[in-house]
Amino acid sequence: MNIKPLGEFTDSAALSLGVELELQLVSRRDFDLTRGATDLIGSLDYDGRFGEIKLEITESMIEISTLARSTVDGIAADLGGLRDTLRHHCERNNIGVCGGGTHPFHHWPERRICPGDRFTDLYQRYGYLAKQFTVFGQHIHVGCTSADDAIWLTQALGVYVPAFIALSASSPFVDGVDSFYQSARLNAVSAFPLSGQCPPLNSWQEFTEHFAFLQACGIAQGIKDLYWDVRPKPEFGTVELRVCDTPLTIEQATSLAALAQSLARWLLRIRPPLDTAKQAHVARYNKFQACRYGLEAMISDPLSLCQTPLKQTLASLLETVSEDARELACERWLSPLKLAVAGHAGDADWLREREKQHGNLNDVVREASQRLIGTDNETQEKTR
Amino acid sequence: MGNNSPSTLDSLLSLPRWLWEGLLDRLFFLPPFPERIDSLALFSLLLVVGLLIGEWLHAHARWPRVIGYVLAGIVFGPSSLGWISIEALAQARPIADAALGLLMMEVGRRLDLSWLRHNPELLRSTFTDIALSFALIFAFALWLVGLTPAWAAATAAVTMASAPAVVLLTIEEARAQGQVTERIILHTTISSAASFVAFALVLGVVHAELSEDWLNAVVHPLWVVAGALLVGGIGSWLALNIARILPKRSLAQVFVLVACALLAVGIGRMLAVPVFLTLFLMGVLLASRDRQQTLRYTALPEGHWLLAIVLFVIVGASLPWQEFTWLAGLQALGLLLVRAVAKAGAVAWSGGSLPLSKRLLVGVGIQPLSATAVFMAYELASLYPEVGRSALTLPLFAAAMMELVGPALCRLALRRSGECERGDPARGGVA
Repeated sequence: MNIKPLGEFTDSAALSLGVELELQLVSRRDFDLTRGATDLIGSLDYDGRFGEIKLEITESMIEISTLARSTVDGIAADLGGLRDTLRHHCERNNIGVCGGGTHPFHHWPERRICPGDRFTDLYQRYGYLAKQFTVFGQHIHVGCTSADDAIWLTQALGVYVPAFIALSASSPFVDGVDSFYQSARLNAVSAFPLSGQCPPLNSWQEFTEHFAFLQACGIAQGIKDLYWDVRPKPEFGTVELRVCDTPLTIEQATSLAALAQSLARWLLRIRPPLDTAKQAHVARYNKFQACRYGLEAMISDPLSLCQTPLKQTLASLLETVSEDARELACERWLSPLKLAVAGHAGDADWLREREKQHGNLNDVVREASQRLIGTDNETQEKTR
Repeated sequence: MGNNSPSTLDSLLSLPRWLWEGLLDRLFFLPPFPERIDSLALFSLLLVVGLLIGEWLHAHARWPRVIGYVLAGIVFGPSSLGWISIEALAQARPIADAALGLLMMEVGRRLDLSWLRHNPELLRSTFTDIALSFALIFAFALWLVGLTPAWAAATAAVTMASAPAVVLLTIEEARAQGQVTERIILHTTISSAASFVAFALVLGVVHAELSEDWLNAVVHPLWVVAGALLVGGIGSWLALNIARILPKRSLAQVFVLVACALLAVGIGRMLAVPVFLTLFLMGVLLASRDRQQTLRYTALPEGHWLLAIVLFVIVGASLPWQEFTWLAGLQALGLLLVRAVAKAGAVAWSGGSLPLSKRLLVGVGIQPLSATAVFMAYELASLYPEVGRSALTLPLFAAAMMELVGPALCRLALRRSGECERGDPARGGVA
């Protein structure tokens, strides 16, 4: 077993941000997923000014990741630059690129694992799960100035996992059928043995001991084996929020990053008491609720011993973090989230509505692809 | 399967014929001894023979099935055993036209000029492929083989393009996906379009050279192009307008698509307009005029393999192997080498984002030369049969050789590029 030491926690600038988006590569002929990531990366003529464009586990996926930025506007600029770079190179290769947490109708056995030791190892270890892992998520990194802060923030953000799932939900279709879920993507992730919540740990010391224990038991080799919803990322000096579906637009992805940054600032500023042991009992249920019902979820509160509509808690959360958002100069990015909570259709609803309109999923992916690239009427209207 | 070639088949039939005729006096309900095989029976025999040989070669030698279908045609055709006679070939021609038509429509639907707009290197490589292939083949046929300029141009027009049907079926069989695959399709569709333009022009040139009648020299190319455009236009208009009222991707849409394609094949045959050109244009129009994506996602049914098998058995049987001479063989080999240099050179020279090794694989993948070339050659030869057949021996032999090698080269390119579907080797195609 190739054991990778955890390493030191690299302190980073407080509340700095980084965003990773996994995107779909689709055929422009029928908008099914297509294989093309390796050739696309091979033909890239790009100087890395907005961040990285890299391979993901299968040939039908591509990952873009921004540089570490202190502001949400910086993230928006990077994501825009990466999106345009990718669009240019995809057009040269006659490939479409699309957002969304799942491809609505692809046939997973047709997926091809990307070349590379890590991907081969994952395929050997997890078999068909690796191909079914052709799902597309957004990861948000929030910088922490100390390792203990990172562990505390990891625990604190755990409570808000359902909120991020519901706001980003964009994967209602799987295998060509409506799954009834707002976010079906996380069902593919939950099949992995080390997915789920970070155990109740109170300090970096406890975390390193827990990780050493997992390594000693032969369960994990490196930090990348932990598919937790929220996990510390020592080499970047960040906490990584990993539950979001890739939204249909980079604007929505930016809004989610704004919420993560504002919420982290509020949490680190207020330091509300955490009852991680009790939260652990309801975490899986609440996550299911958010995946299944999105913003209509009923969230269990293990402290008040009741259920509360997610919309209600989200509305008050968005109000609560408004001041921090103002301080971080990202308040305007929260507006789309407030609209969603107020009843505007989210990405999953948009996909269902388009499917109802067209009666087929090929056209849905075609329009979703235009939406990400910014060539559809609605996006152009918003940009104006 | 025919009735007049002095073949083993006739000797095999002599006893049943004698018995049957003996019974005719006693059993008045009996029809006369069937002199011709029924069309449906012929279709099924061609299908089964082609299928078995194709599957056997694929299973035992990993060869593309298309080679097996062609081999079946060669073995049982007039050149060898003679079980498929010239008459049987003529009888089966509507089936071959339907099969080729459907495949050409599919190729036409894949002509994606927007890719060229976004990628100048592809514009360069496809244009170079067309220009270099035509020029080198023309020069070879004119100066090295000694054909007249008209027939040298005809030879170049017929052989310059890659074989769309072979390429499409090989890709489908291998379930290939990726940049090499996509570029092979692009080169094939564009070079096919160019070869059809050249074909139409050459019609006029041949008329001009072989007769004093300038009216035919002018009107025949116009008739072919305008006729194909009109019939293809009607077919695509009908298909789109009928399909619009049906659910997208429904079986009903598939039937409408196939029915309109067969209608275009039929009208094309009635008007003596080449089926391959008509259906290619119908496919192009279907894709370009389908602004509401009515038929964009409606694919041909798997059953088109059924027709494709018969098509390639017939193509195999149509190849003039009985006229083979070593000189003709060497000349055809020379043409294929010149053509290979032109195609590989074009993709290698054009540069671009794809690495040279992969560009060369594209060059290998576009080598096939097949059904469309054979049909084009026979169309041209039929204009002036007394000279045409011998003048077009060169492209026919080149096609005959490439029928057997081309699918393997295309398959090799796809496999070496790593774009074939991995997994159960028995899957794909008709298996």
